[in-house]
Order: sequence, then structure tokens, then C-alpha cells
Amino acid sequence: MDPTTSMYVAQGIHGIAYGMILFLIASGLTIIFGMMGILNLAHAAFFMLAGYFCYQVTAITGSFWMGLLLAPVFTAFFGIFVERVFLRRIHAFGHLGELILTLGIAQVILAFVKIVWGTESLPVKVPTILTGMVSVGGLDYPIYRLFVIGLAMVVLVFMLLLLYKTRLGKIVRAAVSDRDMVNALGINIPVIYMIVFGVGTWLAGVAGVAIAPILTVFPGLADQVGMDAFIVVVTGGFGSLAGAFIVSIIFGLLSSYGVQFLSQLAPVLMVGFMAIVLAFRPNGLFGVEE
Amino acid sequence: MKNTAIKIVLWTVLFVIMVFFPKLFGIYYTNLFVTFAVFAVYAVSLNVLLGYTGLLSFGHAMFFGIGGYGTALALKHIDGIALLPAVGIGVLATFLLALVLCPLVTRVTGTAFAMLHLAFGQLFYVLALKLRNITGGEDGIGNFPIPDLVIPGVASFSMKGAPQNFYYLALVLLGISLWLMWFFTKTPFGQIQVAIRDNAKRADYLGYKVPQSKAVIYVVSGIFAGVAGSVYGMFHNLVSADGSLGVMVSFTPIIAAMIGGVGSFFGPIWGTAIFQILEEVVFRFTDRVELVTGAILILVVMFAPQGLAGFIKMLKMRYFSTPAVSAKKEKTS
Repeated sequence: MDPTTSMYVAQGIHGIAYGMILFLIASGLTIIFGMMGILNLAHAAFFMLAGYFCYQVTAITGSFWMGLLLAPVFTAFFGIFVERVFLRRIHAFGHLGELILTLGIAQVILAFVKIVWGTESLPVKVPTILTGMVSVGGLDYPIYRLFVIGLAMVVLVFMLLLLYKTRLGKIVRAAVSDRDMVNALGINIPVIYMIVFGVGTWLAGVAGVAIAPILTVFPGLADQVGMDAFIVVVTGGFGSLAGAFIVSIIFGLLSSYGVQFLSQLAPVLMVGFMAIVLAFRPNGLFGVEE
Repeated sequence: MKNTAIKIVLWTVLFVIMVFFPKLFGIYYTNLFVTFAVFAVYAVSLNVLLGYTGLLSFGHAMFFGIGGYGTALALKHIDGIALLPAVGIGVLATFLLALVLCPLVTRVTGTAFAMLHLAFGQLFYVLALKLRNITGGEDGIGNFPIPDLVIPGVASFSMKGAPQNFYYLALVLLGISLWLMWFFTKTPFGQIQVAIRDNAKRADYLGYKVPQSKAVIYVVSGIFAGVAGSVYGMFHNLVSADGSLGVMVSFTPIIAAMIGGVGSFFGPIWGTAIFQILEEVVFRFTDRVELVTGAILILVVMFAPQGLAGFIKMLKMRYFSTPAVSAKKEKTS
């Protein structure tokens, strides 16, 4: 295999891995939006917080697996706390209030992170089993990226099973299409909201842990990756899981090949793509007319 | 009659204070006041969009920044350009930008509008950082010449090294902008915007052209943000990506509008004043900018969702109205 091809393949793997992480974040965002009508601007901050939790847990227990297990759960509990204490009270005031509130929460989390962990980049070590390369068919793949892709796939299957094979999933899907009716049928919507918000932040947490060893953990993480995730959700269509998945993969590939060929203008590619999509479909690729 | 008399007296007092401000308070507070005036106009321009048309932009900094960059580039590269044409070039740049964007952005509302602007704002921020040969990258454009303001046949005012003169220039430019926006919202056209905000479908059925009206107000809002950005750039003699195009620059006017009261014309001005005073006081003790702004946002949304304007209205209703009226209002609300 000549080096050019293997470089293309390696970039492709990087792109898909990044796309998968984007999808983990975007899926949480889009589920919360579809269900509750809230665009959670603090989502990226939760994602970053999970990275820090992972760093802390790994530092204490010495095991990345504990971080992978515990950090998303801590993040989810924090998300549920935010939903119960803040978001629920202002739901009646409409979208503007929610946007501003989540913006405020994102700022406070950022300040909190800077106070507790400082502003420098913190490395997260992965176990030796996930480092190095694996050789398949004459091509070398970085194991950790493959692990991220596998992890995202597992989470995706788990999500689909939860959403389409359980009673809870049925209720959530019903509530997405008509919240008031589901409420009138005697289902406790606030509790469902809490669960959905918890699952959404858990997904952001998994993404935060997955990206921690690649990019290290630093306060700018939320801006850097979070912005991409927001663009994914806007382009894919609010509330659409399939749209989020497809656009995540496209963006992952765009950013990894973009960095290679047009390193200066890689971020411009994504925004350009979004502008083109929105010019023809204002509600995103898979969005429904309001 | 009594009310108009009081109003005239108040405006005269305000005018006199404004004219003698540099003499009364010294140079430090004069500069602080220019910053306040810039951000007040900027916040009002955002509120024209947010409060009157219901469109929340998370990327208003792009107009602010493009106005600044346009003026700075004109002053740097065009030899012998006068002051006001340079401001005009900055404003023209924002006008063109808004004109190009409006066919796209007037098709979306609500959250999609906000996010689209966040993305465009980031796009300009990244471009300003990356196109080093034009924008100077992280350093921005600094130390560009600021020509004297020449009124042909009347006088010439030196701007460089004369903060008082710059104060009067900023005051006049920003005052005119503010007055124009106030006038604009009072026209029948401005009132249609409120109708569109409250019920776009009904406004459409009544025969008003909804996307076109939105486009006009979008351009107007962009232009005045550009004026503010242009004055801001000249005031600091520096236009940088972080100072003029960053995300925080987009959030500041939203915070000001929220504190002061969205939808009230003078609300954002009060909000900017409160925010500036808070900044002056709080940041002498701590540099945790995010913590303070975040906490303010949360507190305002939780406890005063209508901002200061709504809070005052509530107090008025509770304590200064006749019992019958307040009882009636409580019943209907």
C-alpha cells in the first residue's frame, strides 16, 4: 500500500471518529430540542465538564475505564440538577428566556472549571491496550480512534433500542409529536423531561470522555467542539436523529480532509455547507416545517 | 402641559450635563462614558431586532466588527481620507453584509435564526484571525491614522490626543444614531414589526410583506451596530478579532437588553449602564468575567424576566396606580 492511500485512509478514520463524537454531542442536543423545545446552549459546557470529570476520576482511580463509566453519570446528574432547579421554573417564559438561561449556565460552568482546574491543558492517559496502531490489510489504524467509533456505535444502538423498543421510548416519541396530548393522557411529562435531559447530558458526557485523550482537556474545548455540534444540529434539522448522524459524518470528513488540503479555511467549509443547506431548506436537511 | 414642561427641563439638564461632561468628571470618566455610549447604541441596535421583531441574533458582533474593520482599513490604506467618509465606509460595509445575508436569514426565525448568526459570527471571527495579510490576525489593526474632523469653512477639530474632541464626535454620531432608531420604531413601519413579532401569520394575511419587512429592519439594525463598531474602533485606535468580533461581543448587548428589558426602547440603554457600573465595580475585585456575566444572566431570567423596565412597570402597577385599575389588571393577567 503506497503512503498516499494510507494517508487518505488515516484521515478518513480521523474524520469518522470526529464525526462520531460530534454525533454523540449533537444527538443529545437534538433529542432535548425535539422533546422539550429547548436549545441547550450549555450542552457544550456539559461536554467539557465531562472531560474534566474524566480527568479527575482517572487521576484518582488511575483507570480510564472508571472515568468512562463514572464521568458521564456525574455529568448527567448535574444536568438533571440544572433542569430541575433552573429550566423547569422558566419554561413558561418561552424560548428566549431558556436560551439566555442556558447561556448563563454555560458561562458559570466555564468559570467553575477555570477556578477548580485552572486554564492549562490537562492530558488524559488511555490504557495501553488502546494506544498504538493496529494493522489490517496492510494499513495501520490508530486503535483509539477505532475504539471511539465502536463506542459511538454501541451508544447509537443502545439509543435506538431505548427509543424504539421500550415503553419509555414510545412515550418520548409520542411527546415529541404532541406534548400536551401525552400530558393529558396522564403521563407525568415533567419526569419524562428530566429523564430526557439526563440522557442528553449523559450522551454529551460520553462524548466528552471520548474526546479527552485526543484533544486533552482545556477550557476552550466547549467553544471549539460545541460550535461544530450546534452547526450539525442546525444543518441536520432540529429534533432529527438521522439528520444529526448524517451531517456529523459529513462534517467529520469535511474537517479532517479540509485540514489537510485547506488548513486555513477548514472551519469555513462547515459554515459554508450549512449556509448552502439552509438557503434551500431553512429548517435543516431533515427538519420538519413548523 | 405639566408633563411636557418637565420633559423639556429634563432634556435641557441632560444636554447641559452632556456638553460639560469632560469638564465635570475628568478624562477617565469621559472615556468610560464613550464606551458606555458605544455599547448603548450597539445594544439598542440589537434590541431593534430582538425587541421589535423578535429575532434574537447570537452574532451581532459581526456587524459591530465589520464596521470597525471597514473604518480601520479605510483609514489605514486610503491616504488623506476624511473622518466621516471613513466612518461611512465602515457603515457601508455593514450595510452590504446585511444586504447579502438578509435573503437567507429572513427565512428562518427563533432558534434557527439565533444559531445561524452564531455560526456566521464565528465565521467572521475565524476569517479575521486567519486572513492575516488583511486583518492582522490576532494583533488586529492598530495605530491607524485618525484624521482631523474638518467642517468646510467652519472649523477643524483635532482627534488624535484630544479625548474631549473625540467625546463630542462620538456623542453626536451615536446620539444621531439613537435618535434615528427611536424615530424608526415610531413610524408605522416600525409598528408593523411589532405586529410581525406578535403574530407573523396574521400580519401576512393583513397584506404586510413579512420577509421584506424583516429584511429592512435587519439591515437597519446592522447599520447602526456598524456605526457603534466604527466609533469603537476609532476610540481605541485598534480593531481586533477578540475585541470586536468575539462571541462575548455578541453576548454583551443581549445581556444589556435582558437586564434593561427587551422590547422597551430605552431598556437596553439602562441595561448597558447597569452592566458597565457592575463591570467597573466587580472587576476591580475579581477577573472572573464569565462567572459574573453568567450569574447575572441566570438571576435576571429567573427573577426579572422582563428586565428592569418590566420590574419598574410592576412596581408602578403595584404602588402608584389606583386600586380599581390594579385590581382590573390583576384579573385580566
